[in-house]
Amino acid sequence: VIWRFVQGRRSSRKAVLLLGLCDAGKTLLFARLLTGRYRDTQTSITDSSAVYRARNDKGANVTLIDLPGHESLRLQFLERFKAAARAIVFVVDSVAFQREVKDVAEFLYQVLVDSTVLKNAPALLIACNKQDVTMAKSAKLIQQQLEKELNTLRVTRSAAPTSLDGSATGGPAQLGKKGKDFDFSQLPMKVEFVECSARGSKGEEGDADFEGLEKWLAKIA
Amino acid sequence: ERGGNNSFTHEALTLKYKLDNQFELVFVVGFQKILTLTYVDKLIDDVHKEFRDKYRNEFQQKGTLGLLNGTFDFKDDFMRLLRDAEESSKVRAPTVMKTFEQSLKSQKTVKCMIETRGEKPKEKVKNKKNKGSKKEGIEAVAAPGKALAGDKQPSTAGEKEELTKDEILQKNREEFFKRHMKAGEKSRSPKPEAQKEKGKKPRVWDLGNSNAKVLDYSNSATNGSAEACPVEEFDPDIALGDRNREPGRLYDLEYESDDEAEEEKVIQNPSKPSTKKGGLGGMFGMLKGLVGSKSLTREDMDPVLEKMKDHLIAKNVAAEIAVQLCESVAKKLEGKVMGTFTTVTSTVKQALQEALVQILQPQRRVDVLRDVMDAQRHRRPYVVTFCGVNGVGKSTNLAKISFWLIENGFSVLIAACDTFRAGAVEQLRTHTRRLNALHPPESHGGRTMVQLYEKGYGKDAAGIAMEAISYARNQGFDVVLVDTAGRMQDNAPLMTALAKLIAVNAPDLVLFVGEALVGNEAVDQLVKFNKALADHSMAQTPRLIDGIVLTKFDTIDDKVGAAISMTYITSKPIVFVGTGQTYCDLRSLNAKAVVAALMKA
Repeated sequence: VIWRFVQGRRSSRKAVLLLGLCDAGKTLLFARLLTGRYRDTQTSITDSSAVYRARNDKGANVTLIDLPGHESLRLQFLERFKAAARAIVFVVDSVAFQREVKDVAEFLYQVLVDSTVLKNAPALLIACNKQDVTMAKSAKLIQQQLEKELNTLRVTRSAAPTSLDGSATGGPAQLGKKGKDFDFSQLPMKVEFVECSARGSKGEEGDADFEGLEKWLAKIA
Repeated sequence: ERGGNNSFTHEALTLKYKLDNQFELVFVVGFQKILTLTYVDKLIDDVHKEFRDKYRNEFQQKGTLGLLNGTFDFKDDFMRLLRDAEESSKVRAPTVMKTFEQSLKSQKTVKCMIETRGEKPKEKVKNKKNKGSKKEGIEAVAAPGKALAGDKQPSTAGEKEELTKDEILQKNREEFFKRHMKAGEKSRSPKPEAQKEKGKKPRVWDLGNSNAKVLDYSNSATNGSAEACPVEEFDPDIALGDRNREPGRLYDLEYESDDEAEEEKVIQNPSKPSTKKGGLGGMFGMLKGLVGSKSLTREDMDPVLEKMKDHLIAKNVAAEIAVQLCESVAKKLEGKVMGTFTTVTSTVKQALQEALVQILQPQRRVDVLRDVMDAQRHRRPYVVTFCGVNGVGKSTNLAKISFWLIENGFSVLIAACDTFRAGAVEQLRTHTRRLNALHPPESHGGRTMVQLYEKGYGKDAAGIAMEAISYARNQGFDVVLVDTAGRMQDNAPLMTALAKLIAVNAPDLVLFVGEALVGNEAVDQLVKFNKALADHSMAQTPRLIDGIVLTKFDTIDDKVGAAISMTYITSKPIVFVGTGQTYCDLRSLNAKAVVAALMKA
C-alpha cells in the first residue's frame, strides 16, 4: 500500500509543460517531438497532451502537455496542470523577443512566483525558438535581457498595492536574493537555456533542429 | 467567455462559428460582411455533422496523436456541401410564399371536408383538383425544395380518384400541425365561437346531403358537375364562410383542443410539465449521473442556469450581463460529456466560475509602475486621466494613488482640471499639503514630491491639462495625474469636452472611476463613455478607457457583481480597488477572491 502511494506520488508529476507566449512555436514543437513531421498550426485554445518516449537508455516516458499561450487562457491552464509538472519548457520567440521582452518576462515571473512551482521546483528549460530566422537573438542575449527585466519586475510587483483579501501579490515569494541583481542561478530550480528551431533550417520538409531540447528531455526523464 | 454570441465582425469580414464540445472542435465560417448569405448556418451545421461522422473514430480512439498524424482530407466533401447549400438557398425564396398560400387554401378544404364524413374523399378530391388547376400556372417554377409543396403536388397531380380515409386523416393532421405552427392565436379564436356552432350543426348536414345527391353520378358526370358544385360550395364558404368553418372547427377543436389544451398548459405552466418530466427523469437521471457518463443537453442545464443567473443578479451583476454569461456557459457546455460522479449543477458551477475568473483576469499587463519607469527613461511624464460620473471618488482615489506613487519614489504633479465643482481645487490643495507633510522634501533628495497645478475655476479643462503636462516635462516630474469634473454620461456637451481633453492631450492611461455600489447603471455609463470618446476623437484609433478603478469596495459585503459588469463590458482590467477613505486604502484586484465571494451562496 505504501509502495503504491509512493508510486502514485511519483507518477503524478510526470508531465512536461510547454509554456510561452502566443506564436512562440509551442504547438509545432509538440508536433515535431511526437511525430517528427511539420504541421500547420493554429492558435491553440485548449491543451493537448501525449506520451513521449525520451531518447535515453531507460527509454522512459513523459507526458508532454502543450498549453495555449493566449493571455486570457494561459493562467487558467497553468492552474490546472502546474501540480503535475516535473519540468517546464518555456518557449521564447527569439525573433520577436526584443518587442515582447516585457510580456515574456511578466509571464515567466508569474510562473516562477507561483507557490506550487516554487515548492516542487521543476526543472526549467528556456527554449529560444525560431533560430532558423536570421534575425533571431542568441540564447545568451535572451538570458541577459530576461535577468534585467525580471530584476525590475521584482521591484515593481512587490510594490504593487496588496491584494483584496490581504495576500500580497509578490510579497512572500521573493525571487532570488534581495540585495543583488536577479540571476537565474538564484532560483531554487535548475534553469538552462537552449537554442532550437521547430521548423528546421531546411524548411518544412526537413527535420527540426532541437537536439539540445531532446537531450535535456532525455536527461530529466 | 463571450461564447453566447456566435458571430464576429472584423473590417469587411464576418465570422460565424460553432462549437462541438464533445470532441472539442471549432468550426468557423468566414464571409464578406456585405453579402447576407442565408445558408451559412445550415452549411456550418452540415459540415459539422459530416466531419464528425467521418472522423469519429480517429477522435475517440487515438486522441492527440490521432489528431497529429491523421490526414483530414475534407476538401472535396466541403466543396460539395458548399454547393448544395448555395443551391438550396437559391430555391428557398419563391417556395416560402407558396407554402403559405397552400396552407391557407388547404385550411378551407379541410373545413369543408370535415362537415360531411361520408363524402369527404370525393369533395376533397374535387376541391383539390380545382385548386390544383388554378395553381398549375403558378406552380410552373415550383422546385421540390420544401416538403409541404412536394406533398401537395403529388396529391393534386396524381390522384383523380378517391383518396383513402387514412391518407385524408394524415393530411388533416399535417395541416393541423401547420396551422398550429403558423397561427397560435387562430386556434384560440375559435374557442369562444365553439359555443355558437352547436346551434348551426343541423344546417351542416343539409349541405352534406345535397352533396351526396350530386356525387351519385359517375366520374365524368362528377367532373362536369364538379364545376357547379364547388361553385356552390364556394358561395356558402365565402358567404357563410365563418359559420361554415365553425362547425367544421368543432371537429377540429376536438383535435385542436387537445393540442391547444396541451399548448396552454405548456405556455401557462411551463414549469409543471417540465417538473413532471423532471420528476420521472430526475430519478433515472440521478442514477445515470452517478453511474455512466452522459452528455449535457440544454434542458438539463436550463434550471441550473436560471438559478445561477438569479444568484448573480442578486449579487449586483447587471441583468443583461448575467444573461449573456449564462448563455455563453450553456454554449460551452452543450454536448459535453460529463465524467462519472459529477452532477449537472457542479459542472455548470465549475464552468461559470472559470468564466468569471477569466473575465476578471487582465488581458494585458497591469503594471503601472513598470510603465512609469519606462516613461521615466524616455524623460517624459506619464500622464494618467481620471474620468467618471459625479461622486464616485475620483479626487479621493487620485490622492491615494499619488500617495502610492510617492511611496515608490516617483514625483507627482496633480493637474486640477475640475474647474466646475466648488472646492475642487481647494480639496486637491489640501491633499497636496498633507502628502508633502508625510513625505517631506528632505527625505527625497530635496525635491517636492507632490505639486498642484491649477488655474482656478471656470477655465477650459483641456487647456489646463496641456499646460500641466508641458510644465511637468520642463520640471522633470515623473507622473501627471489629471483630475476631471464628474459628469453624467447623458450630458452631451460635457462628454464632448471630456473627449476633447483626452484626444488633445493623449494621456498614457485613461482610468474610468466607478463605484462598486452601482448596479445596472455601470453598463450604461461605460458604454456611453466609450462611445463619446470614440466619436469625438479625430484619430484613426481613438483612445478609449484603458482601465477601471473600482471604488467604495468596503461598502459592499460580498455583492461584488459590479466588478464583473464593468470588466465584461469594456474587457479592460480593474487596475485599482479603493477600500476606504485614508491614503492606505488602495488595493489591487484578486480575481479568485472576488469570484469566490460571488459564487458563495
